[in-house]
Amino acid sequence: MRLKFLCLTLIVLAAVILIRCGGNNSDKNTLSYWSSNNSYEIKYADYITKKWNSDSPVKVSFQPVPEGQSSEEVILAAVVGETTPDIYSNMWQGDVEAYAEAGILVPLDTLDGFIEFIYDRCDSSVVEEITSSDGHIYQIPWKINPIMLIYNKYIIKNLQLNSVPETYTEYTNASEKFKKDLDGDGYIDRWFGYAEVQVTWWQRFFDFYPLYLAASGGGKLIENNKAVFNNEYAIEVFSFLKNLYTHKYFAMERLSARQDVFLSGIIATRFTGPWEIAHSEKYKPDGFEYDFIHMPVPDDHEGPIYTYGDPKNIVIFSTCKYPQTAWKFLRKMISEENDLKFLEISNQLPRRKELDVNPLYADYFKANPKMKKFAAQAKYVKGTDASPVLKEVFDLISQQYEACVVYGTKSPEQAIKDAADAVDLLFLK
Amino acid sequence: MKLNNKITPYLLVSPYIFHFLLFVAFPVIFSIVLTFHKWNIISPMEYTGLSNYVRLFKDEVFLQSLINTLIFLVIHIPLQIIVALFLAEILNQKLKFRGFFRAAFFLPVIVSGVVVTILWQQLYGYDTGFFNRLLVTIGLGKVGWLTDPNIAMPSIALMATWKNVGLYIVLFLVGLQTVPDQYYEAADIEGASKWQKFFKITLPMINPTIFMVVILSTIGGFSLFIEPYVMTGGGPLNSTISAVLYIYKQGFFYYHMGYSATLGLFFALIILLVVVIQKRFVERDV
Repeated sequence: MRLKFLCLTLIVLAAVILIRCGGNNSDKNTLSYWSSNNSYEIKYADYITKKWNSDSPVKVSFQPVPEGQSSEEVILAAVVGETTPDIYSNMWQGDVEAYAEAGILVPLDTLDGFIEFIYDRCDSSVVEEITSSDGHIYQIPWKINPIMLIYNKYIIKNLQLNSVPETYTEYTNASEKFKKDLDGDGYIDRWFGYAEVQVTWWQRFFDFYPLYLAASGGGKLIENNKAVFNNEYAIEVFSFLKNLYTHKYFAMERLSARQDVFLSGIIATRFTGPWEIAHSEKYKPDGFEYDFIHMPVPDDHEGPIYTYGDPKNIVIFSTCKYPQTAWKFLRKMISEENDLKFLEISNQLPRRKELDVNPLYADYFKANPKMKKFAAQAKYVKGTDASPVLKEVFDLISQQYEACVVYGTKSPEQAIKDAADAVDLLFLK
Repeated sequence: MKLNNKITPYLLVSPYIFHFLLFVAFPVIFSIVLTFHKWNIISPMEYTGLSNYVRLFKDEVFLQSLINTLIFLVIHIPLQIIVALFLAEILNQKLKFRGFFRAAFFLPVIVSGVVVTILWQQLYGYDTGFFNRLLVTIGLGKVGWLTDPNIAMPSIALMATWKNVGLYIVLFLVGLQTVPDQYYEAADIEGASKWQKFFKITLPMINPTIFMVVILSTIGGFSLFIEPYVMTGGGPLNSTISAVLYIYKQGFFYYHMGYSATLGLFFALIILLVVVIQKRFVERDV
């Protein structure tokens, strides 16, 4: 009898544990919010939730996104386990479409006041960019880190260039002047630039993709479930980059596992974002000077020069019991004033129009002139195209990038065509 | 009391049965079901019939990954056996510091695979790596250990051999110590050379150990993952993408769970086939 009772108790206990594991984080009258897990954003999330909780009946409980290989994987695990927070503020734009198709996100355009708010905050092109293929908006553009070219001012001056290289020819000529075999062993060990040679799909956000956006004036990769990048711009970008590797202006070796190659003068330039400022200020040698300029463009380029903005957006998961209240909180969290606070704490740019001329932010940019360059560039940034298979698209491009640009086994024309054909096949499956 | 006697055996085996059902039977059955579906984890499963199997036979990258795995095995297994047996023979002699050497050779086995991989990534570095610096010092050219598509997989096989050889040395040592001394004494009386003793006595006598090492290194080789994942990401030009890495990418990178399960099932059948063949031929003929 006692044995039967023990068995029954164990079974009930196991069932309760299993059911609780699948529970939602949301408690009555409390919204759960996951922020990014870098220290600056944790500080900001702490600040904003305390501010909100001081005068709101519905409280917001915040925690950084749990540690994992990537925040994307953690969010996916939470979605599968139905343990998503109500609000998440570090959503990669490329993941939104797949989640939207699965019905996991709240269509924000159905919430009171959202449409007016979003058009007040963003240009119509940004609104178009974040609108999903079903016509709804599932994400709020919050922060961006535009990719630009950092350069060593001393090296550029010493190369006796008239100006910082802005076009492909200028960049290539400067590269030829700078590359050198320092130790005389017959191998180049000083390069003008460096980009990760690994085939990992997201590495293309820091070389091919911003260069493609710059060359094409913010062109798309995918439109209506079809590859639209088999064009002169993509071919020009591949040709430009291929040339850099063929002539050893860029290192083919991974240089990431040693002293910072930019700060130690091993390379003169790098494609990077505003996070480089804090890093460089902390580790630069005495007297080291650097600055930023837009991505290199084809010689005949006209018009604005776009780049990849590396946007991270805010979403409300459909497990949220109070989406309207969550939206009210978010509206406050990304108000003009709180965006300034966010900028001051994290040195990441809020994605809002006329950031560089808004008087509210003038003092910040006066105190941080290098950030002002990124703010000016912020007018011409793009995120990613709305597609549920974006990772695969970038992976396919990356495979061809490796074959053509890094190893030179294909012509740029053939590589771009092969990538576009493979992407088209993706949509047929 | 009688009831207890009937229930007790079931209760005693129930933890294993529970574990087996939850972590073996259910995943196997579920993955077989998955092979007929398209599923990205977050959306409902969609029945697709045999399309995953059709795709498998047209997938050039999967074929490439199988060839890469085969290349790895062809280099890794003989190298592993030769080096391990050679070192085991030496360590089986009465050497000074024998205990130290045995421990030293075993050390890489207990070090994390990721740590070893990162260490070798530095050694293989093109400009700053130890091997290339050594080659340049003695007047030879640099080698693209991990950047040359023809050399990257052999480089990984070399590293994997270094990492695992300690385990196989221990196995061979055990095998060598089971060979009775009388055989060698009799051979000495007959005037047999060292090589004759090795080939006529040692090798046949440690046949079961060799078979076990071949099986273990084959299964280990088939599960090649950490090394290409950390060192090369499968590149350059897919030259180091192993079958397991490709299956992982399809499943946990693209979330093609159905296709990944199909690849996994197919690959499991290949491993089964190879092991059966090895059991049939290697065990008898070595």
